[in-house]
Amino acid sequence: MSKRDPDRGEPMVVASAGELMFPATRRGFLRTLMAGGSVMLLPSVFTACTDDDDDNNPLGPGNIPAPVTGVSFDLRSDVGIFRLLHLNEQLEAAFYTAVVSSGTFSSFSADERELFIDLRNTEVIHREFVRTALGSQALPDVRGSINLNTLNNILSSRTNIIAASRRFEDMGVAALNGAGKYLQDVRNLLVAGKFASVEARHAAALRDVLPPAGVNANTAFAGDDIIDATGRDVKLEAGAVLDRLAATGIVVAGTLASPAIAAAPTATQGVATADFFPANP
Amino acid sequence: MDNQQPILDGIDPEITERLVSRREAIRQGAGMSSRLAAGLAMASVPVAIAALAKDTFAQTPADILDVLKFAFILENLENEFYRAVLGTSALAAQNNAFAPVRALIPDAAKQTFQQIQKHEQQHVDFLKAVIPQFGGTVVSITAADFDFTGGNGSGTGPFARATTELDFLLLATQAFEDTGVRAYKGQAGRLLINGNNNADIALESALRIHSVEARHAAKIRRIRRQRNPGDTSLRFSGYVRGGGPAAAGAGNVANPPAEVVAALTLIYGGSTAESNTQHVVFNGTAAATIDAATLTGLDVIDASERAFAATQAFDEPLTKDEVINIVKNFIKDDAARGLP
Repeated sequence: MSKRDPDRGEPMVVASAGELMFPATRRGFLRTLMAGGSVMLLPSVFTACTDDDDDNNPLGPGNIPAPVTGVSFDLRSDVGIFRLLHLNEQLEAAFYTAVVSSGTFSSFSADERELFIDLRNTEVIHREFVRTALGSQALPDVRGSINLNTLNNILSSRTNIIAASRRFEDMGVAALNGAGKYLQDVRNLLVAGKFASVEARHAAALRDVLPPAGVNANTAFAGDDIIDATGRDVKLEAGAVLDRLAATGIVVAGTLASPAIAAAPTATQGVATADFFPANP
Repeated sequence: MDNQQPILDGIDPEITERLVSRREAIRQGAGMSSRLAAGLAMASVPVAIAALAKDTFAQTPADILDVLKFAFILENLENEFYRAVLGTSALAAQNNAFAPVRALIPDAAKQTFQQIQKHEQQHVDFLKAVIPQFGGTVVSITAADFDFTGGNGSGTGPFARATTELDFLLLATQAFEDTGVRAYKGQAGRLLINGNNNADIALESALRIHSVEARHAAKIRRIRRQRNPGDTSLRFSGYVRGGGPAAAGAGNVANPPAEVVAALTLIYGGSTAESNTQHVVFNGTAAATIDAATLTGLDVIDASERAFAATQAFDEPLTKDEVINIVKNFIKDDAARGLP
């Protein structure tokens, strides 16, 4: 069985793929994952797996490019900030595309299916819009860098899908809220604002469908965990966004350069403010 | 498959957390006093705002104060509206007016209204604290300044049915919230002044309030859709679909007055209507207009949905004049206090 002593903050250890078939292990695994905790999959997990990725890639159909490595961001220009947005939108679009084509999706209610198809459509449009806007500065297709172990585990249940979606959307809102002050052109700020309120609508709907543990279902859409005492929404500086993205395990190690931010915004662009983001949105 | 790949690189979240907050603290030290940083970290308005005065190193441009004062009027409008709906207004007449519809609000929706009202009050309090610190004067605005029927003080305006019909109340609520989202989006550009610390704080706060208003609007749309499952112009996602009155999803309100339809036309229309799919970006050397409806790479989206999806993926701004034109009949005129 898996071993973990949560009180001592040890990483959760999973020794075989079969263990993930036990609901308790699976719950612990995902809880740990969603909390940004660490999970060690021992090599035995993978030796027990058949290599079915090529036949059954959740990101397919079509050719998935090789993993991208060493992605970094120069945030001293609007282009650099939009490249970070491009990474987020690519991951979200790929994720929702995988959700809608997953086996689990058929167990969703009709309302939930409408919601997730809307989410997929929006993120695909956002992805293509940002790619077009960036032109030659666009990031490459990062689908090959998506960690299929993480993805498949999220796709294994409705609860995992919605919880992961909530996290992505709230991070998206927080990233845009934190980045706006560094943009230098009002037209780009307006476009970022057009994205931001749509991402906030997503986040509200997802939190409504499945509130985070301990959050009232009737107020979760804008719960006290994500709105501070001044009535302001979540907000993260770019470095914190990338740290949290890495902690979800959705991209394989090496995708992001270390450090991923090659150049921070200059003081002339703006000054960093305190972040506001819950542990488990 | 790389079978040596630990799924999370063994990052201890608590260590990550500590590193992040430490790095943040160091970063902030360069541009912000520790008092302000501490105040913001605690999300305490009085502490953060008191510290702001010491940190002001640039004059607050008139544009910023104008935006904040405008936002203050809109937040008061929303706050007093919800207080009247919930029966917590300081003015008995406002509470009495909404008593019939209040009795019809299910408990779940009541909790939603209470949560939204709490945020509007927080926005009012935040702006009331910020404006003087930025060198401006806050006017006193009370429940008596508003006519939620949209009658400019007559009390018998076209939105009067919101006081007696739940679906009409929800339509009006959604309209207020979507107007708020569009108003903040339209004003954000006036707050973008690189290198001005006051502008940075005002802009970031406005963006963070803007996304809260979007969450409110999305929730109300979901409540309305659940009460009217057949109206797919109201999305479970809370998106705004298309533009003009159709974007309100007014289907479950029987025979809306022509003035209400006209108001919805303004709320979801304007010089950049909600149906707009063309957006301008600037790459540092040239501006380009990109049409979201004609992008490539959209194959995964059902062809019949692409046009709608292109409108849903972007929320659009309203200009200040357009917002004033929408809200002026809900506010009793008082030019001396800047009330339209």
